[in-house]
Amino acid sequence: MPVDLKYMLNPKSVAIIGASKNPEKVGHIILQNYINSGYSGKLFAVNKDAESILGVKAYAHVGEIKEKLDLAVIAIPAPFVPAVLEECGRAGVKSTIVVTAGFEEIGQKELQEQIVSISEKYKMPMLGPNCLGVIDTRARTDTLFLPTYKLSKPGVGYVSFISQSGAVGSTILDLIAGEGFGLSKFISYGNAAYVDESDILEYLMNDEDTKVIIMYLEGIKNGKKFIEVAKKVTKKKPVVVLKGGRTSVGQQATLSHTASLAGDYQVYEGVFKQFGFTIANDLNELLYYAKVLVSEPAPSGNRVGIITNGGGAGVITTDSVGFVKTLKLAELSKKSQEILRKKMPPLVNIRIPLDLAGDAGGDRYETAVSVLKDDENVDMIIVIALFQTPGADSSVVAKLVHFKADITKPMIVISIGAEYTQVHNKMMEESGLPVYDSPLAAVNSLAELFKYYSYKNQK
Amino acid sequence: MTLSDYFEGERLLKKYGISSIRSWYVDSAEEAISKANGNPIVMKVITEKALHKSKSGLVELDLKTDQEIKSAFKSLSAKAAKLKPYKIIVQEMSKGGIEVIIGGKTDPQFGKVILLGLGGIYVEAFKDFAIRVCPINKNDASSMIDNLKSENVITYGSENRKMLEGLLLKVSDMLTHTDLKELDLNPVILRKDDYDVVDIRILK
Repeated sequence: MPVDLKYMLNPKSVAIIGASKNPEKVGHIILQNYINSGYSGKLFAVNKDAESILGVKAYAHVGEIKEKLDLAVIAIPAPFVPAVLEECGRAGVKSTIVVTAGFEEIGQKELQEQIVSISEKYKMPMLGPNCLGVIDTRARTDTLFLPTYKLSKPGVGYVSFISQSGAVGSTILDLIAGEGFGLSKFISYGNAAYVDESDILEYLMNDEDTKVIIMYLEGIKNGKKFIEVAKKVTKKKPVVVLKGGRTSVGQQATLSHTASLAGDYQVYEGVFKQFGFTIANDLNELLYYAKVLVSEPAPSGNRVGIITNGGGAGVITTDSVGFVKTLKLAELSKKSQEILRKKMPPLVNIRIPLDLAGDAGGDRYETAVSVLKDDENVDMIIVIALFQTPGADSSVVAKLVHFKADITKPMIVISIGAEYTQVHNKMMEESGLPVYDSPLAAVNSLAELFKYYSYKNQK
Repeated sequence: MTLSDYFEGERLLKKYGISSIRSWYVDSAEEAISKANGNPIVMKVITEKALHKSKSGLVELDLKTDQEIKSAFKSLSAKAAKLKPYKIIVQEMSKGGIEVIIGGKTDPQFGKVILLGLGGIYVEAFKDFAIRVCPINKNDASSMIDNLKSENVITYGSENRKMLEGLLLKVSDMLTHTDLKELDLNPVILRKDDYDVVDIRILK
């Protein structure tokens, strides 16, 4: 039976246990964040010494709250967690998030086993312990105990993010906030004592507001269970994974070549490849790949058409296509060549990369994209727009964004530069046009897009 | 972990439809000469104590004359004296081809996994290999080959590729149904139409 996470992500009623008047306490920040996010369900504070906190009525015990609770967020010192979980179970709370640290991660295995068995007894799914909890941008829930001034929160989108680590999780959240694609759900699961990464993947697989899953993990709790979910999830939606902990310390001496080659990470990598995961090697690759996968359709093939307003940038991007074994540079059809020759000024060489020259404005881009989008020899389009050139201005952005509405091929933009460029990049990204600041990153992202759909469509 | 007997490994492979090059244990140079029967042979030392047979000088290739066989037996016996218990094996000489490694192990997290890589002496130098969880299907076998940098080196076209895919599926089948900790078929020598499994190492 899959674990239902809806009571954690989209609760109708929440109690913050350990809510405090002291603004430095975790329980205070969580309550504050619920209020700041505009959460519209019923909110309760649990604290023995206060009548109300931040205008929210406080109770000494969770059992005194008359409402049925969908979720209890628990932020009290570890030794007190079992008793409070027991109270939650008796009160019929449907799920819990234990943000408190001090369990298995510091050797307190018994304490962790205790809270798992209480949760199991009451069939009360528990996230954590030792985690940041969840964000659901649509439900406006936020259990993160990080003050809002410390990190920007992403807007509403279709990428969901799973993180084993809290700190890496919040850093990536901050980065996502700087991207145009937004966030659907964030789930930091810490020690995975009850709800583990496979349960979360399976839940997000069936979540309509999640189109792409990105995940940071260091280990997996149950390999066989993970494989069963992995087989299904990537046939429905892409999963981009960054695995920390690649170098194994104290690897055992082996008696075969196979075992000496196949270390822990190499096996993980094999599993990810076998089941169609998109592998990121760094934090920024998580974002690069999420961006293209969430906005672009399946490509019809692997031939890349390049449009540019700078010769050098076109060459570098062409080189990048050459580095990638799975992609090819497109060749224009006869028909496209004829149309372009008629419409383009004589200084434009009619071949890929199609160099529109430095004086190209929106109109020349419009002609180029309209020809490539209908050319059967072109499967994916990279548009390079260098805003330092004399011709490029907001008219280029206006034309490209216009195409985005009805183009059926993947199209991404490379645009590199400081303030003036960034303004235009933001306009494009907010309109769902992926923008990359590096030719290699852009080409690798298309390669991952192609690879994912090749896997998804194979029988 | 203990090293399984070479011929026990050979029988196991055969059960899953994998043929290996003809081999015999020998106790003397005379016995080796009689097994060779005038054909060129390979002589090597089998011992749990040496993983790199060729690097440790425990393999003598392409022995043609009685004299070559005699002196190889003498020198290998001397080297192996420090590596007891050991056995000396002679094999038909492979016709040659591209060397790959096909292996497997029981991973603590994911269970049985299969490995394909550029083989022989290149295994550790280039570390060009791909891993999948068992059992694998045809797509997995094909993507293992695609994943190798040496893809174009180890395959000679579609027929040969099909043969290698088939071999991987058989090894996966064997790994899935056999209780073992580690397996090395290294090298497996691939040619256009056939292959030789030249060395079998199974650890239980």
